[in-house]
Amino acid sequence: MTAPEVLRVEDLESGYGEMQVLWGVNLRVPERSIVVVLGPNGAGKTTTLRSIMGIVRPWKGKIVFKGQDVTMLKPHEKVARGLSLVPEGRHLFPELTVEENLLLGAYTRLGKENPSDTLELVYNLFPRLKERRQQKAGTMSGGEQQMLAIGRALMSKPSLLMLDEPSQGLAPKIVRDIMETLERLRDEWRLTILLVEQNIAQSLKIADYAYILEQGRIVLEGPAEEVAKREDLVRAYLGI
Amino acid sequence: MPDLNLLVASIISGLLIGAVYGIATVGLNLIFGVLRIVNVGHGAFIMLGAYLAFIVYTSLGLPPLLGVVAGLAVGAVLGLIIYYLVIRYLHDAPELATLLATFAIGILIQELVKAVMGPDSRGFVWNPLAAYEFEIFGYKPSSFQILAALSSLALLAFLYVVIYRTRLGLAIRAVVQDREGAMVVGIDVERIYAASFALGIMVTVASGAILAAYLQTGIHPYMGEIYTLKGFVIAVMGGLGSIPGAFIAGVLFGLFENVSYLLLAGIEGVQPLVLTRSIAFLLLLLILLVKPTGLMGR
Ligand SMILES: Nc1ncnc2c1ncn2[C@@H]1O[C@H](COP(=O)(O)OP(=O)(O)OP(=O)(O)O)[C@@H](O)[C@H]1O
Ligand SMILES: [Mg+2]
Repeated sequence: MTAPEVLRVEDLESGYGEMQVLWGVNLRVPERSIVVVLGPNGAGKTTTLRSIMGIVRPWKGKIVFKGQDVTMLKPHEKVARGLSLVPEGRHLFPELTVEENLLLGAYTRLGKENPSDTLELVYNLFPRLKERRQQKAGTMSGGEQQMLAIGRALMSKPSLLMLDEPSQGLAPKIVRDIMETLERLRDEWRLTILLVEQNIAQSLKIADYAYILEQGRIVLEGPAEEVAKREDLVRAYLGI
Repeated sequence: MPDLNLLVASIISGLLIGAVYGIATVGLNLIFGVLRIVNVGHGAFIMLGAYLAFIVYTSLGLPPLLGVVAGLAVGAVLGLIIYYLVIRYLHDAPELATLLATFAIGILIQELVKAVMGPDSRGFVWNPLAAYEFEIFGYKPSSFQILAALSSLALLAFLYVVIYRTRLGLAIRAVVQDREGAMVVGIDVERIYAASFALGIMVTVASGAILAAYLQTGIHPYMGEIYTLKGFVIAVMGGLGSIPGAFIAGVLFGLFENVSYLLLAGIEGVQPLVLTRSIAFLLLLLILLVKPTGLMGR
C-alpha cells in the first residue's frame, strides 16, 4: 500500500500538565482512505486528535501533513492548511442558526471567497440541514447536530477530515447513515478521513486500515478486513 | 407624597443617567462574557474617560463629548497593551490572580492620573444649546446631559454593529458560545480575546467621557471606585456576560436610584443619599430571587 500519504504522525507524545497520555504514537493516513483508530475509554484517542489539531500542544514527535512539518502550528493555521476536526461532543454554537454554524465552518475563507458553493454541497449531502437552516443549532436532535458538526467541518474544504466518535449516543440507524456518509465523502468527495470510534463493527466495515490504541500506545494495526477477522483479539484489547 | 411633577422629572432624569450607567457597564460584561475575567479596575477606565472629556474641552477647546472618540482611541491602545502585557498570561491562572491583576491595573491608572492631573476635583460647564433648553415637569436637563444620553445610545449602536454585523463579531460570539468549537473552525482565539478585551476597554473609557455630563462633584482620580461597585451590581442584575442585559439593567438602576432618592427624601429624618445605595442592592436581590442568573443571563 503505497498511496501517497496525507498525514503521518511519528512518535507523538503528549498529555495534560504533568500527566503524559500519549507515549509514542505512529499513524499513517494514505490519500482517499478511511483510517480508523479504535481504543477503550481513556486510551488517548481524543488526545491524539487534539494534538494533531494543535488544541493540545505535542510534547515530542512529529506531525507531517501533505509533506510539511506542521507539528507546532496553531489550530487556526492548521485549518487554513486543510486539516479539519469534528470534535468529540460536537462543540457546535448552540445559539447560532444552522446556517451561521456552517458559515463559521468557512471562517478562514470568509471575506476572501464566497462560501456559498460549499454550502450548497453540504446541503446536498444533508438535505435535512437545509430544511432547518434557520433553526438554532442547540435545539436540534442529536443526529441532526452530528450532521451539522460534520457539515461545519466540511465548510473549510479540508483535505483531511478527522472525526472523534461521531456515532456516540446515536441510534443504530443514524450511525449507519453517518458511516455511509463517510464512505460517500471518501468515494465521491475524494476526501481522506481519520476516524476515531468505539463502534468496532460499523467502523471496521467502512475503514481501509485500522489502529488499536491502548494506554497511549498503538498495540495492533493492519488492513481493516484483517483486523476485523481477529475481532476476539480486538474485543480483548478494548475490554468488551 | 412628593408632587407628581417631581416624580415625573426624576423618572426622566433616571432614564437619562440610566442610559449612561448602561453603557458604562456593557464593556465590563463584554470582557467577562468572552474572557471570563472580572475587571476589578473597571472604574479607573471610566475615570480616565471623564478626564479625557475634561482635557478635550479645557485644553483643546473642543466639545467635551469628543472625549468619546478620544476614549475609543485611548481605550483601544490601552486595552491591547494591557492584554498582551498582562491578561494573556492569566488564562489558566487561578481566579484570584486575575482579580488582583486587574485591581492593580486600576490602582496604577488612578495613581498615574493623579500624578499628571493632581488630586483635586475638576469640573467644567458646557451647555452648547442653552438657548434651546426646555423644562419638563419642572426638570431642566442641560443639553450636555441630553447629548450625553444620546451618545450612550450611539455607542451602544456601535457595539451592536461590531458584534452582530461584522466577521469579528461573529467570531466573538462563536468564542463565547464554544471556545473549542471556535478553535476547530479556525478562529484564532487568542486574537479574539485581545480584540474583545480592547473593545470592552474602549467602550468603558468612552463611557467615562459621557458620564462627565452627570458628575455633580467633579472629576477626580478616585471617582471611579463607586462605578466599579455600581458596574458589578448592574452587570449581575442584567446577567453576567450579557450586553443587552447590562444596558437594560443600567437603565433600571438609574431609574430606581433617582426615584427612590426622591421618595426617601420625603421621609422625615432620613438621609436619602445613604439609603439609596442600599435600596439599589435591594433591587438586585429582588431580581436575583426571581431570576438567579440576572435579567438576561443564561
Ligand atoms: N483536559 C484534560 N485535562 C487533564 N486530563 C485529561 C484531559 N482530557 C483527557 N484527560 C485524560 O487523558 C486520558 C486520555 O483521555 P482521552 O480523552 O484522550 O481518551 P479517549 O480515548 O478519547 O477516551 P473516550 O473514549 O472516553 O473519549 C484520560 O486519562 C483522561 O482522564
Ligand atoms: Mg475521547
